[in-house]
Amino acid sequence: MANPLKLYLTCVRNTLEAALCLQNFPCQEVERHNKPEVELKTSPELLLNPVLICRNEAEKCLIETSINSLRISLKVKQADELENILAKKFLRFLSMRAEAFQVLRRKPVQGYDISFLITNYHCEEMQKQKLIDFIVQFMEDIDKEISELKMSVSTRGRLVASEFLKQFL
Amino acid sequence: MASFERASPALKETLLRIYNAEKPIEVDHHLYEFSSVEYYIKSSVSEPFTYLSISTPLLSRGVFPSHRLSPCTLRTIREISSDVLDIVEPPTDGYQLTLRLDFSKLPHNKESLKVITEVSSVQAVILSSQLKERLQNVNSWDMSQGMYVIREPFYVIRQPRKIVAVFPMRFKDHSDVIIATSFFQELMDVRSSGKWSKIPPCNWSPIPPPELRGELFEDLSTNGGFVSFDISSHHVEVKRLDKTVWSLLNFHGYVKHHVKCTRGFIQRRMRRRMDSLVQVLEKSMIENNEEIKRVKGWKKVKKWMKLTSKSKMIKGKYHDFTKKMKRIRFRVKIHGFGCFRRRWLTIACFSSSVGYSKLKKH
Repeated sequence: MANPLKLYLTCVRNTLEAALCLQNFPCQEVERHNKPEVELKTSPELLLNPVLICRNEAEKCLIETSINSLRISLKVKQADELENILAKKFLRFLSMRAEAFQVLRRKPVQGYDISFLITNYHCEEMQKQKLIDFIVQFMEDIDKEISELKMSVSTRGRLVASEFLKQFL
Repeated sequence: MASFERASPALKETLLRIYNAEKPIEVDHHLYEFSSVEYYIKSSVSEPFTYLSISTPLLSRGVFPSHRLSPCTLRTIREISSDVLDIVEPPTDGYQLTLRLDFSKLPHNKESLKVITEVSSVQAVILSSQLKERLQNVNSWDMSQGMYVIREPFYVIRQPRKIVAVFPMRFKDHSDVIIATSFFQELMDVRSSGKWSKIPPCNWSPIPPPELRGELFEDLSTNGGFVSFDISSHHVEVKRLDKTVWSLLNFHGYVKHHVKCTRGFIQRRMRRRMDSLVQVLEKSMIENNEEIKRVKGWKKVKKWMKLTSKSKMIKGKYHDFTKKMKRIRFRVKIHGFGCFRRRWLTIACFSSSVGYSKLKKH
């Protein structure tokens, strides 16, 4: 893993370890309701300061925490048009299948490519360290996958172009 | 529209069925392909011939009339097999060409399959013969240009010592445009490498090339740019002319097929990657569920113990019942025998469910 990426992911990991201390907290507004406070943002005393970690202008991670939930939003690197459409397609594909991931949000936060919502119930069902490992590995895998997809598309295009031009021989 | 395979599969299958039939059969089929090509096959028991009529779009602006086939095209069709095939004049109403096929003159070997395949590719012959006529005289000083429209229009521009074929590319989806643009750039890169020097030079530009100055605006409005091939005399030699023409006719279809396959490939990769990501998340959950399963296992042991104690109760009740039955059966009672039996005739029990032995008072 390259050094700048390692530093970025380490920073995200440390922030998540500090932020992922969630507890059950019923809604103060409505009786017998239990809602993720980070989504509603109705009670400012239940929200912590959001943390924005930027690797560069194009890549950043926003971590918003509240007493019973945590929201992580990621902006993925997109160097050119092809990476742009590949990232868009892939992240939209994952978001549409958010139920398979449980902690994934169906719609990303505005200005970001993908978002996670972790509640206290997820922390009870899953191990905290493994959850953080998943998020960090997800960030690493997304970058890798988009680069591999771009290379595969280019390689395929080259092979198909060669086959087409061979017909003229 | 030209397809990658020259012979129409449905037409070939029908003609083979008629040829392989032991006795003449009645056939009256209409076949439609690519929403613009129509075949009409008629064969009857009373006649020894089979009639094949073809209707295919032949649009070209400013070069040949669009409703009739050129003499060169008709000559090329006759060359498929002069014994088996004959052109019927005038053609059937609504069709541009009617052929009379005499299968009795087909040789009974592998040649017959080859002839039937060539007859099935007559639509490809018609399409390519028009373009062949244009490309054959590359060195002619006659400067002209024409637009061929089958489904997707493309231009053929005659210049000194070369002919330029320009393809305006249009796509419905923005992502298709990006994939196709990447393909066109690879096409140019491959052509510019040393070993492909014999191939027509190709070029892609997002704006119309200078050769298309003066054409209608709606014909030049595209989202995928313009791809052009420079055809020289070397590429239209007798041996290569057919391949060159077929490649140019199929260029649009080739690009669209590649874009479609690439989208499918991207979808498959995304699905595989998603499965691997979900497995990582499930690992964080599985260990928790294993611990829960162990707790459930302890509860199961408790349930089993409850069941065994119940069975002991049932056994005890059965024992009491059988005792009562024995008492009723044995009417002869000996006083004191019961005490004697209990003291001297019962087997001592060394294991106690209570865990201690009760001492009797003497």
